[in-house]
This record gives sequence, structure tokens and C-alpha cells, in this order.
Amino acid sequence: MSDSALKKIAIDKINDLAAALMQKGTLIAPVREEKGSNFREIKNPQDIYLDYDNTLLSPKNIFFPQMEDFVNYQLGKDATPAKPVELNLKPAFLFGVRPCDVRSFAIMDTHFYAVGIIDPYWKARRDATTIIGYAFDLSKPADPADFYNTLGIGAADPEGSDIFMVKKDKELLLKGITPQGEALLNGLTMLAAGNAADEKYFTEYVKKGKEPRTRMMCLDDKTIAKKYEQIFENTEYWTRMADGCLSCGICTFVCPTCYCFDICDEDIFRQGARRRIWDACMFTDFTLEASGHNPRTKVYQRLRQKVCHKYSFSVRKYDVISCVGCGRCTRSCPVNIDIYSIVSEAMKA
Amino acid sequence: MTNFKHIEENLKKEAKKLLEAGSVAVVLAYTEGMDEKHPQPFAAQSVADADKIIFNEYCNHNLARYIIRYAPGTKIALAVKAADSRAVVVLIQEEKIKREDLILLGIPADGMKNSKTDEIIDAKTTGGLANPVIYDILLGEEIHTGKPVSPYTVLEQYEKMDKDARFAFWKEQFDKCIRCYACRKACPMCYCDPCFIDQSKPRWAVKSPQSHGNLMYHLTRFQHLAGRCIDCGECTRACPVDIPLYLFHKFVAKECEEMFQQAAGMKIDDKPVMVDFRVEDSDKILE
Amino acid sequence: MEFEPKILGIACNWCTYTGADLAGTTRLKYPQNLRVVRVMCSSRINPSFIFRAFQLGADGVLVGGCHPGDCHYNTGNLYARRRLAVTKKILEFSGIEPSRFRVEWISASEGNKFAEVVTEFTSHVKSLGPQTKFKIKE
Repeated sequence: MSDSALKKIAIDKINDLAAALMQKGTLIAPVREEKGSNFREIKNPQDIYLDYDNTLLSPKNIFFPQMEDFVNYQLGKDATPAKPVELNLKPAFLFGVRPCDVRSFAIMDTHFYAVGIIDPYWKARRDATTIIGYAFDLSKPADPADFYNTLGIGAADPEGSDIFMVKKDKELLLKGITPQGEALLNGLTMLAAGNAADEKYFTEYVKKGKEPRTRMMCLDDKTIAKKYEQIFENTEYWTRMADGCLSCGICTFVCPTCYCFDICDEDIFRQGARRRIWDACMFTDFTLEASGHNPRTKVYQRLRQKVCHKYSFSVRKYDVISCVGCGRCTRSCPVNIDIYSIVSEAMKA
Repeated sequence: MTNFKHIEENLKKEAKKLLEAGSVAVVLAYTEGMDEKHPQPFAAQSVADADKIIFNEYCNHNLARYIIRYAPGTKIALAVKAADSRAVVVLIQEEKIKREDLILLGIPADGMKNSKTDEIIDAKTTGGLANPVIYDILLGEEIHTGKPVSPYTVLEQYEKMDKDARFAFWKEQFDKCIRCYACRKACPMCYCDPCFIDQSKPRWAVKSPQSHGNLMYHLTRFQHLAGRCIDCGECTRACPVDIPLYLFHKFVAKECEEMFQQAAGMKIDDKPVMVDFRVEDSDKILE
Repeated sequence: MEFEPKILGIACNWCTYTGADLAGTTRLKYPQNLRVVRVMCSSRINPSFIFRAFQLGADGVLVGGCHPGDCHYNTGNLYARRRLAVTKKILEFSGIEPSRFRVEWISASEGNKFAEVVTEFTSHVKSLGPQTKFKIKE
């Protein structure tokens, strides 16, 4: 058999699996919170919540935390030389990530490894983490905001995961996709071997996942990139799109592929740190220059930057659309601005 | 129940009339978003645009937020629900906009819904008024059914709390903050440029989302909105991590009302309480 | 060791600060827990000063201004009264003891009152114990 063997576990036994992974390292899985779910480090296996559609915040903060110290130092009369922060990573297991989010990691990799510049913090966390992907539940309709099919992502695509999981009635089928994932699966004794019927179910599920399930339009990356170059100066289109935009940072903060950050020095009680924190192109002070000049003072200019960065600049530079169609920005936008409509309007503009 | 279809038709009709006559440059209303449940704020600038206007129970965004985007002197018509009209009043009081530049299309509405949770928006999270306090054209029947509910009853359980428990509660809430600033951007009263939190000299709080920075940001924002918050609840609905900001705003609004006998944004001739004083204000308020 | 609170005093230039001077020149005794910052008027006090002071480890904050009606700028302290009253309510609802923050009107001739207020406030803050809620962990 060329493919790796399939394993399975009953969903009500998932605690055993979680406990085993927690012994090997840090387990990060979706947890149910007040409204929606989020990826959190698991302290208690019962907290794992797999019945979610997609998390509220994206899992990017696992590799790219919102706040990360690079260097610590002491100011004042006891001043010490700056000390780099050691990462000391334990192996981590990112459990139950949906295929569109898994795809976002690959897109972020291009940004963080691009043209020989490697972000050591991103890479170290990425290397230490085993990704356990989880197919969307095909028996339920997709969230109306989702549009990952538009970007060529299937609801059950195993690409990019180390292990991929599919739900079959009251069982989870697990398949090793990379050698690393396979080795991990083989070492987990609580898993039973899958039979031929399970194999068939898994293959068919992945195939069925390719069928259109979310909103979909025909989107060719080169065409849309070109289109946005053409309409860059079309102020009428951009102001119309930005009529309602509040210019807050939600869309960029929940986005799995937004990676802009600010590096700042902050100190309190003379304990200083040079740290990286998320920044957002939607903030007014994002482009504020030291002279006081701000090249993007209008809301439409900031929205244009965001959309063009994802659909045009990124294609031109890295040959990839920086969007996975997870629908988070649309779902959390306070004024219901929908990036899918913005893009489909652009095709008509 | 409010007849939303009826209001939508009236809104379209009035918007068309105003734009056709050229009496306004823009009509601020709502248009269809991704689906019926997700309408978007919309600036109609032509008669053709007016056809795209919709109104339904999910149109809860405060349109007063967008007024200050237009150059001073621009003639603006906007659809105002109760809370929006109060926001407009505060903006007029603060001389951000002139009354004569505005045409207010009043919408009496109850039973508005939060599109994220489908909950009815009532006095629990907002000021709970149904009728706009100021308008030029009313697009529906004024609502006088139902007992008026105090917007402050929801506070009781928090005021009863032990102070340590209350601090723990707020600490937990503020620690969730990811500093996306949606609360201040959704707020019709937050128009400072730059916002104190964006200032670098002095830097009032850290930029990173740490406990102490979040506390500083939110407490100062509550102070800045004292006597100005019109309790529309937009900050809370905008919050992606569900911090119940409305509770704190309500508390401050209630205290201001008790101390200064004036609620925010009810009358154009009032002065906002924080830029006003009375010689006979009692020192008791400081106790 | 007995707990010695750190208290930030913010005093207006024309009344309270001069009152403090008078307390000094008349050699009145009051606790050393108070660190005074002079501002031109009590209405110059940004409420964020108070939040910040608590964050940076103050156990109490005492604001001093002219008596209402006596303000050097006529109405400054009347605005300040409203503003700081709101600050106090905000402190209360956030869960910190509101009595850690006090506003007193002390005129230039009230050196005695200054000493009394500081003594009384210090012992009150002492009885409340250290302020740990807002204080940023070192």
C-alpha cells in the first residue's frame, strides 16, 4: 500500500488522544467561548470543541503572536545590555484546523520566508508544530460568509496538514499526510487501525469536499491582479466600497493572512522590551510619517491598500492571492462589509 | 411591531425626492450587504443610488458616525433611529455639524435585531428609546406602546457586586481586548484626531494588548464619553471579543444623569455636562 | 514593617500648593507619604493622570484645588469638580476603592487644613492597605 494506513478513534475517546498529545508537548485546539470558538492551549482535554464551523480569531497567532518580545533590557542606573528572548519551544500540536486555515499557513510562509529573508520566530514556531487538519462537516451548509471555494480550496483538502482528520459518524478518521504526521500517528497506541471501508469513506470525503459548497466566482489570480492595477485610481469605485467602512482593525486582526506588524520599544518601571505587535493598514497612524505627513488619510485609501495588497500586490510579488476565503473579516465586520462583494464588484468596475 | 417595509419605502421615496431636488449632496442610509441579515451603511449620492436603499430590523448601525467624514457645509440627509438622533444632537451641541446642514429622516423603530446574535436590541444594551428625539421628516408612526423600561436596570446586578468581584470581572473582560479599536471607530462620539491612545507624546498606554494598557484605554475612553455617550450600543456590537462595554457606559451615563440632571443628546440647546458647570453643583458629588 | 503608602498629590498653583507652602513655613507636621506635583489649575488635571498614577503604584491620589468661586481662572475648579466626580465614579465601578482618590478644596491661607487633610488621608489609605488592583506588576 502506497498511502499510509488510516487510523481511527471514537469521538468520545478523544480525551485519551488529547492527553497523549499533551504529554508530548503543547496541545492547541478549538475551545468553545461565549460567542464562537477560538484556538487555545488546552489545559483540560474536555475543553476541546470540534463541533465548530470556523473559529472567531484565526490561528495565525500561534505562529505569529499579537505581541512578541525580541529583546529585553533594563534602563536606569542598573542598566544591563539588551538580552535576546530565547524561544524555548516545546513541540506543539495544532489540532482541528480547517483546510482554509491550513492553506493560510502556506501563504504566510511565502511572506515570512520570502526571497531569502527568513523570520526566525515564525519559522521556529512553524517547525515545532504538527498541524492536524480537520475537514469541514459536509453534512452542514457552509457559513454564508465563507468563499474558500473561490480560491480553489476544498472543504476537505488535506494538503498542508501533517495529519488530516475526517469525521465519520461517531468516529474520527486520521490519516498521516507527511512522514512526520505518520510517525506521530504510529506512536499513538489508543488509535485503532481503519478498515477498507474507512479508507473508502476518507477518500470519498476528500473528493466530495472539492464540490462547490461556499459562495463561488471564477477568479483567476493574474486577471484580478491586473484588474486591480487598472482600477487603482478609480476613486468612484473605492469610495463606494468604503462608504460604510469604519476603518477599525478587526478585519486585519482576524484575518489568517494579514501579517503587518509594528516594532516598538516599551518600558515600564525601567524594564524595557523591544517587541513586535500586530498593526493594521486600516489604522490612521499606520502610514503616519515622522514629519507628520500621512499619505493615506482617507478611509477609501486604506481599504484600497488592504484589498489590493491581498489580491494584487501579493500576486505580483509572490504569485499567490493572500486570502483564503475563510469569511472571518465579513463575519466580524461591525458594518458588514464583505470582501467577496468588493472583489466581485471589482470585476464589474 | 414596526413595519420595516413601510419605512423602507418612505426612506427611498424621501431620499429620491431630496436628491432629485438637489437639496442634499448625500443621503446616509443602508443598503443590502452579503444577505438580508447583513445590511451595510450606504451613502446615496444620486437618484439611482436611492433605489438601492433598504431598511430592515438589522439596520442598527449608527449613521451619525459618518457625518464628520464630509466637508463642513455639505448638506446631508440621514436616516436616524432614536439613538442616532441623540448622537446627532451631541454632534450639533459640540459644533461638529450645523443643524441647518442636516435633514433628519426620523425612524421610529422597535424590535431591531443584532445580526450576530439575532437578539432583539432593547433597553438592556442600549438607551431603549423607540422614537428619534429630533427629526425633520418622520418615516413611520411614532411608537407609544409598551412600558418605557429604564436603560439602567441592567446595572443593578453589577452594582451589587463586591468591589473585588467587580474588578475581577472587568479585568477578565479587558484582558480579552485585542486593541482593534472597533469600539472607538463605531462610536459616533469618538471623532478625536488623534485619539489619545495613538499619541506618542505623551504615550498614555502601551500599544501592545497588555492588561494595563487595555485598562488605561478603556477607562480613559469611558471618561471621555462621560455625558456624551448616547447609549446606542454600537461599541459592544462591534467588539469582536464581546466585551460588554455598554455596561460601563451606562453606569457613567447614569451617574452623570444623577449628578447633573441631564441625559446626553436630548436637546440641542443643552450643553454637554462635561463642558458645563453650575456654581451650585454640590461638593457631594466628589464624595 | 508597617505599610507606608505612596500618595500622589496634585495641587493647584494658586491655592493648595501655596497652602502647602504655608504648612511648611509654619512648621506643621504631616506624613511624608505625599509626593506633590504642581499644576496651574485643578482643571488642568487630565483624568488619565489619576488612572496612570494608580497603575504606576500610587496607593492614593489627593487632588487639591481652590475653593469653588476662588479659582484664579474664575471657573477652572468648577469644571474640574464635574470631571473628577466622574473619574471617581469610574474608579468605583471598575472595582478599586473610590476613597483612594480624594479631591479637597484648600486655599492659600489654609496651611492647617492642608496638614490635616494629608494626615487624615494618609491614615485612611494606610488602613486600606496597598493598592494592587491597578498597579502594573513589576
